[in-house]
Amino acid sequence: MAISPDSSVPADEGASAATADSDAAAERDATAESDAGGPLGTVRSIVADHVVHIAVIVLFAIYPLAYTQMVALPVIGEELALLIPRTRTMVAVLYFGLFAMSFDFISGYTGYLSFGHSMFYGIGGYLVVLSMNGKVPFLGGIDSLLVLVLVGGSLAIVAALIVGAVSFRLSGVYFAMVTLGFAEVAHVFIRNWDYVSSNPRDGASLGNNPVSVGIPGWGPLPEWNVDIGRIIGSEFPNFLGTGFDLSTSDVSFYAVGVVVLVSYFAMQRIIHSPYGKVMIAIRENEERARAVGYNTFYYKMGAFAMSAFFAAVAGGLLAGFNRSVAPENTFDLFVTADALLAAIIGGFGTLAGALFGVLFQNTLEEFLSTEDGLAQYLRETLSESTLDTFVGDGIDLLLNGRAGLYVGIVFILFVLYVPEGILGTLRSRLGGKVARKLPERIQRYRSGGGGGGS
Amino acid sequence: MTGIVALEAALQPAVAGLDAIVPLANLGGLTELADPTTLLDIFLNAISKFGVYVTIAAGLSLIFGLMGVLNFAHGSLTMIGAYLGGALMLTFVSEATSDVVTIAFFFLALALVFAIVTAFGAVIEIGLIRPIYDRPPLFQILLTFGLVLVFEEVVRIVLEIQDIQPNVDWTEAAGTRPDVLGFHEILGVTTRGIYQFEAVVGILVVAATWWFLTRTSYGLHIRAGSEDAEMAQALGIDVRRSFTVVFGVGAGLAALAGVMLMWDPRYGASVGLGVETLLIAFVVVIVGGLGSFKGTVVAAAIVAVVDALASWMLVNDVVTFSGLPELVIFLVLVGVLVVRPQGLFGVEEVGGH
Repeated sequence: MAISPDSSVPADEGASAATADSDAAAERDATAESDAGGPLGTVRSIVADHVVHIAVIVLFAIYPLAYTQMVALPVIGEELALLIPRTRTMVAVLYFGLFAMSFDFISGYTGYLSFGHSMFYGIGGYLVVLSMNGKVPFLGGIDSLLVLVLVGGSLAIVAALIVGAVSFRLSGVYFAMVTLGFAEVAHVFIRNWDYVSSNPRDGASLGNNPVSVGIPGWGPLPEWNVDIGRIIGSEFPNFLGTGFDLSTSDVSFYAVGVVVLVSYFAMQRIIHSPYGKVMIAIRENEERARAVGYNTFYYKMGAFAMSAFFAAVAGGLLAGFNRSVAPENTFDLFVTADALLAAIIGGFGTLAGALFGVLFQNTLEEFLSTEDGLAQYLRETLSESTLDTFVGDGIDLLLNGRAGLYVGIVFILFVLYVPEGILGTLRSRLGGKVARKLPERIQRYRSGGGGGGS
Repeated sequence: MTGIVALEAALQPAVAGLDAIVPLANLGGLTELADPTTLLDIFLNAISKFGVYVTIAAGLSLIFGLMGVLNFAHGSLTMIGAYLGGALMLTFVSEATSDVVTIAFFFLALALVFAIVTAFGAVIEIGLIRPIYDRPPLFQILLTFGLVLVFEEVVRIVLEIQDIQPNVDWTEAAGTRPDVLGFHEILGVTTRGIYQFEAVVGILVVAATWWFLTRTSYGLHIRAGSEDAEMAQALGIDVRRSFTVVFGVGAGLAALAGVMLMWDPRYGASVGLGVETLLIAFVVVIVGGLGSFKGTVVAAAIVAVVDALASWMLVNDVVTFSGLPELVIFLVLVGVLVVRPQGLFGVEEVGGH
């Protein structure tokens, strides 16, 4: 008799104590396999470990092309264009997702809520714009975003060490508030500092300088060094003869995407290293971690500095893509708040979850935005007589640019009923990391269905 | 001679550049501080700010003290209070109403708004916050944060229906302010009557809250609960019910502050009022220390004096950096927490944070 796949699930969950052991065994198997198979085996085991990662990366990679194809579909194209985010929005998802992940890196893993995180985002953003405008000493003439982003990241590390040295003497709400205090000092300062531009309240923007991503003077093709930007930027009609046109948004999407991907894997690596285990130990029980012999202060400072670095990288990407920075989209408290919302909706302490939280948020915002949003679509689709009734007013009142209302409601529902967030809930359902458990599940279903009973 | 001129000309851009980078201070202007009129000016400004800050922060302090919940929606409730108060005042008074009657109606509006929003706060506590008390305190804070987004959009929707501009001060409501609260002169210092009025309201709020905490049985429960919730429960106090009352009263106080600020030319009823007051309330409560109403009062006084001094320095060109008053408020927060991590009057390890 065939064992149905379902019957094995409770058994698996019941034996949760044994999970750690089986994980270790799996790792041993993987090592053994790689030893036996040589380099090819190593590649195979890496691929096996990262099936879900690869799937997500592929989905993101084909997104711009798929988007162009889907909105061009005959009947449902217009509706799809309404529902799925533009590539331009996806660029924002990527860089703001990186910021939200850096926020999750410190807040979700060590449990120290960094309420002033927007300061590091702002440092990265302002450094790019100011130095490209020739206003930062020693950095004039550098137009490579990667170099500037590294400089901004280093500055953010310095700022984080100063803020952290003071703030990590506190914990809980007090830590959150003192970091918020520092960020607000920076926010007020940048809003009134007339060195930034003639009107610092509106921020600063780049002139006509191109912002290039890539390592200057390196790479087999000039295409390795591309300019990003919403309007001014590189574009490749009929890219490498494939027949695909890459618009400025598409090019920016890939360029920003590569930086975000590298940053994500760096953070993910740290989380999975012994260092990351100590971070989690601090969140779970700091006193015990200290009793075991870890100097938790240094671990917290290190984690804070690293997360500040990646936040500044994200800020630099924002500045490069938008070609401008303003206090309200960098140093503002509500920028941190958006990252917090995304991290909670995606899953607090899951790293990748924050990116999906941002994706959800930005999709909803675009769906309900004033230009080309649901309100305008309904206005064009519904008949004149329907619109003359209360329906027309209702559309304007409830749907036109009201994303904040629905994000707020969804957020409250998540806090009440899905406290682990999307990815966190998925993980507890599967009984482990999605990247590890999903392939196992699929494997089991396949062998359960194909091999019959034993 | 020409050499010196040339040197000066050469240095000019460098000095100007430095001036642009660092907002230089003209500290010579500080000697004016010895002048009694200047001191009176600063004092009048400070007591008005004290009244505003202590009213804004009182409710937040109560909620934070007992429940350990930093209510992010506090500022939004102040904003809602400002609009409710404005709407009530516009229905109560007209051009012809005398000043005394207007002020009487103002206190009526204050009481009504306080009652309405207290009930509203209690409903929120029972419906949304009570179900998640067994979770880490972070979740209660997050929940109130979600409320900020919802409140703000709902207010915007209502304002759009009523044809009121959400992003600028509601001038019709501010227009109900009686003439007696306008400009007048005290010992050679020009000031506005509303500033002294706010100081009076602030002192009344402090007195009433003090009475509530020390003379009523709820106050006793609250003090016992913030000292040791488990022990209080063991002694038969229904801590949960005091949570509801405290959250309600705290929300009511927030709204009451809003009614007052609706008349204040420095604030005024607008959607932005929420964030503006929230940050100040945070600073005052944190500086004062967790669970200490006395701390909140003292912190409000300190922040008010520092703010008044900074505003004076800015107005009199001692400093040219226009963000100074805002900046020093947050510097006070950082400075106090560096020296005394638990706040001025906070007790360590209370509330489990």
